Amino acid sequence: MRVTKGAQIVAGTALLALAVAACGGSSDSSGTGAGATAAGGNPNAVRVEIAEPQHDLIPGNTTESSGAEVLNALFVGLVDYDAEKKPYNRVAESIESDDQTTWTVKLKDGYKWHNGEPVVAQNFVDSWNYTANGANAQEGNYFFGSVEGYDELNPGEGKTATATTLKGLKVVDDKTFTVKLKNPFSGFPTMLGYTAFYPLPKAAFESEGKLKADYGGNPVGNGPFKISKPWKRGSDQTISLVRDDAFKEGKAKIDAVDFKIYTDLSTAFNDLRAGNLDIMDQLPPEGIATAKNEFGDRYIEQPSSGIGYIGFPTKSGAEYAKNADVRKAISMAIDRKTITEQVFSGTRVPADDLISPVVSGYRQGACGEACTYDPAKAKQLFDSAGGGKMGPIELGYNADGGHKEWIEAVANNLRTNLGVEVTPKPVEKFASILDDLGDRKWSGAFRMAWLMDYPSPENYLRPQYGTGGSSNYSEFSDKKFDELVTKGDAANSLEEGIKFYQQADDMILKELPYIPVYFYQTNGAYSQHVKNVKIDPFERIDLFNVERA
Amino acid sequence: MGRYIIRRLLQAIPVLLGTTFLIFAIVYALPGDPVQALAGDRRVDPVFAAALREQFHLNDPLIVRYGYYVRDIFSGDFGQTFRGLPVSTIFEGKFQVTFKLAATALIIEAIVGVLFGFWAALRRGGWEDKAILAFSLLLVSVPTLVSGFVLQLAIGVKLKQLTGTQILPVAGVQDGLRSYLLPGFVLATVSIAYLTRLTRTSLMETLRADFIRTAVAKGLPRRRVLGRHALRNSLIPLVTYLGADLGTLMGGAVITEAIFNLPGIGQQLFQSVYLRENSVVVGIVTVLVLIYIVANLVVDLLYAVLDPRIRYE
Repeated sequence: MRVTKGAQIVAGTALLALAVAACGGSSDSSGTGAGATAAGGNPNAVRVEIAEPQHDLIPGNTTESSGAEVLNALFVGLVDYDAEKKPYNRVAESIESDDQTTWTVKLKDGYKWHNGEPVVAQNFVDSWNYTANGANAQEGNYFFGSVEGYDELNPGEGKTATATTLKGLKVVDDKTFTVKLKNPFSGFPTMLGYTAFYPLPKAAFESEGKLKADYGGNPVGNGPFKISKPWKRGSDQTISLVRDDAFKEGKAKIDAVDFKIYTDLSTAFNDLRAGNLDIMDQLPPEGIATAKNEFGDRYIEQPSSGIGYIGFPTKSGAEYAKNADVRKAISMAIDRKTITEQVFSGTRVPADDLISPVVSGYRQGACGEACTYDPAKAKQLFDSAGGGKMGPIELGYNADGGHKEWIEAVANNLRTNLGVEVTPKPVEKFASILDDLGDRKWSGAFRMAWLMDYPSPENYLRPQYGTGGSSNYSEFSDKKFDELVTKGDAANSLEEGIKFYQQADDMILKELPYIPVYFYQTNGAYSQHVKNVKIDPFERIDLFNVERA
Repeated sequence: MGRYIIRRLLQAIPVLLGTTFLIFAIVYALPGDPVQALAGDRRVDPVFAAALREQFHLNDPLIVRYGYYVRDIFSGDFGQTFRGLPVSTIFEGKFQVTFKLAATALIIEAIVGVLFGFWAALRRGGWEDKAILAFSLLLVSVPTLVSGFVLQLAIGVKLKQLTGTQILPVAGVQDGLRSYLLPGFVLATVSIAYLTRLTRTSLMETLRADFIRTAVAKGLPRRRVLGRHALRNSLIPLVTYLGADLGTLMGGAVITEAIFNLPGIGQQLFQSVYLRENSVVVGIVTVLVLIYIVANLVVDLLYAVLDPRIRYE
C-alpha cells in the first residue's frame, strides 16, 4: 500500500516542510559535498534538488521519491513509461503471457552493468528474491505480494519463513526468466518500471541472498549514469553521478548529474532562482506564482498520481458514515475548486474520478454530479437522508502533514452548506488513524490519500475497495466489484481490461466510501542551463534525455 | 586556579548525568512509538518491530535503558539510530558546521553589539542613541524566520540577478567561510540588540563610578579613560552574556540552518525529534550540555582576568 501523508508536498508552514523533508545531510566547509559550484565538483554537472533519501541506494528498499530519483539515473528497468503513461520495453525484449498468470520475460542483448558484466535474467531474479524476503525488511517488499511464493517468504507474525526465494520466479536461460503470479493480472507489465523491480548485479551480493554492506553507498547500476564517488548517507550533501559512456541506448546528453540535498524547498527554490540549481521537480507552494512568471516555459505543471480523499468507515462507523446518500451530500457540499486554488495555491486540482489522470482509464468527470459543488442540492439530499439527526460529523486527520488547512476548509463547507456540526479531529500520526481503522475503532470520517504503485487503474481500486484489500479502510465490500476487477485483471491486455475497471470504478463512485477531493500535481521548474526536462508519472526526471541549453 | 578548574569539572559530572537523564526520560515519554515512526505511515512488520525493540532495549524499564546508554557513552559509543546509522556518523561534520555558524554569529554580535552600545552610551540622549535604540528594537522584533528569508532573497537571489555575481551564496556550505556570513548575521540579530542595550547600560553605569571621576580628575586622556577604565570594567556582564549565548546559538540554530540549508546539529535535532531517533537527540543534548559547561567555566575564568579583585581558590 502506498497511503501517503503528503507532508513533503503540502507544507502548510515552513517548519512543517522542514519536518518531513528535513533529512540532515552534511558536508564540511572544505566543500567535499559541494557539487557544481565554485568550490569544486563537476562544473558540467546538472544540479537536481532532492531531499535526503531515507535509505541507502538500494532499489528494493526505496519507495520514497528522492531515492527513486537517484536510482532512476543509475538503473534502467524492464519497462519505462511513455508520454501517454503506457509502459514500453527497455531492458525487456518482450513480456508475454497466454493466461495472464505465467509471464515470460525476455531481455535485450547489450545492457551492461557499470562494471562491464552483462545484465542477465539471474540479476532480476536475485534482486526480486532479496526484496521479497521479509527477513531483509525492504520497503518495497509488498510489491511482490502478487508473485507465487510470497507468503512462504512472509509468513506473518510469529511464524517462520519456509523459503528464501520466490518459487514463482524461474530462470530459463541468461536472457529469459518466467514469473508465475498467484492470480491472473493483465497489468503486470505496468508494474515493472518501478524502482523495486530493478535488477541487482552479482557484485552487489556478498553471498547468496546477502547484500554487501557498502553497496547502498556505492551502487553498481545498469543505467545511463554511474556513481562517481561513494555516497555517505547522513553526512554527504551531494550525490554525484557521471555519464556511463558504455550505456547501450547511447550516451546521455549531459556529462554528469549532482543531486543536491535540501531540507527546505523554499531554500532550494531560491538557489534555483539564483542559478545555483538546475532542476526542481517539486516547488514550495508559495513559490508557484513566482515560478510561473519567472520561469515561463521552463515551469512544469502536470498531474501526478496522488489523490486526496475524505473516507468513511462504511460498516462499523457512525450513522452518517454508513449512509451512502449522506456521503454523496457531503461530497456535493465540498467546494473543491476554491479549496484547491486558495488552500493549496494551485498545487492541487479538483478531483472528478477515483482513478488518477496519469493512468489510462481515467475519465474526466466520471464522478459526475456527486463531485460537483451544489450546496442547495447537497442540503436537500442531506436532509432527506436524515443527515441532520445523525450527530456531529468528525473529520480525522494527521496533524503532522499540513492537512489542517484543507480539512478546516472542508469542515466550514459542511457547516455552511449542510447546517451540520463538524469537528475536525487532529491526530499526531497518520499511522494511528490507520491503526484505529484497522481495529474498527474509528467511527468518524477521515482524510486519506493514495499514490499509485504502478500505472494501472487496478492499483486505485482493488487495494482500497476490494474485499480484503491491503488498504481497505472503508470496509467497502461487494462481490460484483471484486468480479469486475478480476475480469479486468484477466483480460487479454491492459486496454481490454480498462472497461471492466471503469465499471468497477462507477460502482465505487455511486457508493462513495471515499470521496475524491483533489488530485495532486507536479509543479517543477528548471534553469536556463538545461532543456528537454520531462517528468514521469512517478515524479522522476528523465535525466537520460535532458540536454544542456 | 588549577584546583578550581578541577573542582568545576568534577561538578560537571552530576550536571551531565542529571541533564542527560532528564532528556532521556523526556524523549522516551513523548507519545508515539519510535519503531512505528521509523515506518512512517505504514504498519511495521511485527517481526521486524520485535527485533528492533529487543535490540534497542525498548522493553526494559527506563532506568535500565539509561544504564545501558551511559555504559555505552563511557566507552565512547553514542549508539545507533533505528535505521542502523551510527550516531557518531550523523555527528560527523555537523558540530563543525554549527560551531562555525555560532562562532560567526558570536563574532558579529560582539563587534556590532559592543560598538553600537558604546556609541549609544557616549551619545546618551542624542539622536545617535535614539537611532540605535530604534534599530535594536527592530532587530528584536523581526523573527529569524522572516529576516532569514528576506535577506536570502534580497542578497542571494535579487542581488545576483541584478549584478550577475553571487556576492553571498543563497544556501549550503560549499563556499567556505563566505557561506556563514549571511546565516551568521541572521542568527546574531536578536543577540545584537540585547548586547547593544547591555553594553549601553553597563557602560553608562561604569561612567558614573568614582574611579572614572578620579581618572578624569587626574587628567588621563579621554581615550584611556574610556578604553582602559570604563570599557574594561563594563565587560563582565557582556562576557557573561556572550558565554551563555554560545550555547544558545548552537542549540537554537534550527531555523537558520533550515533556511540556509546548513547541515548542522540544529536541523539534525529537529529531524531526530520528529523521527523519534532518541539516541541522536540524547547524544546531541549531551554534547550541548558539555559545551554549556565549558563555556560557563571559561566565562568564570575570564572574570579573574577582567577584574583582578576576583580570585579563585
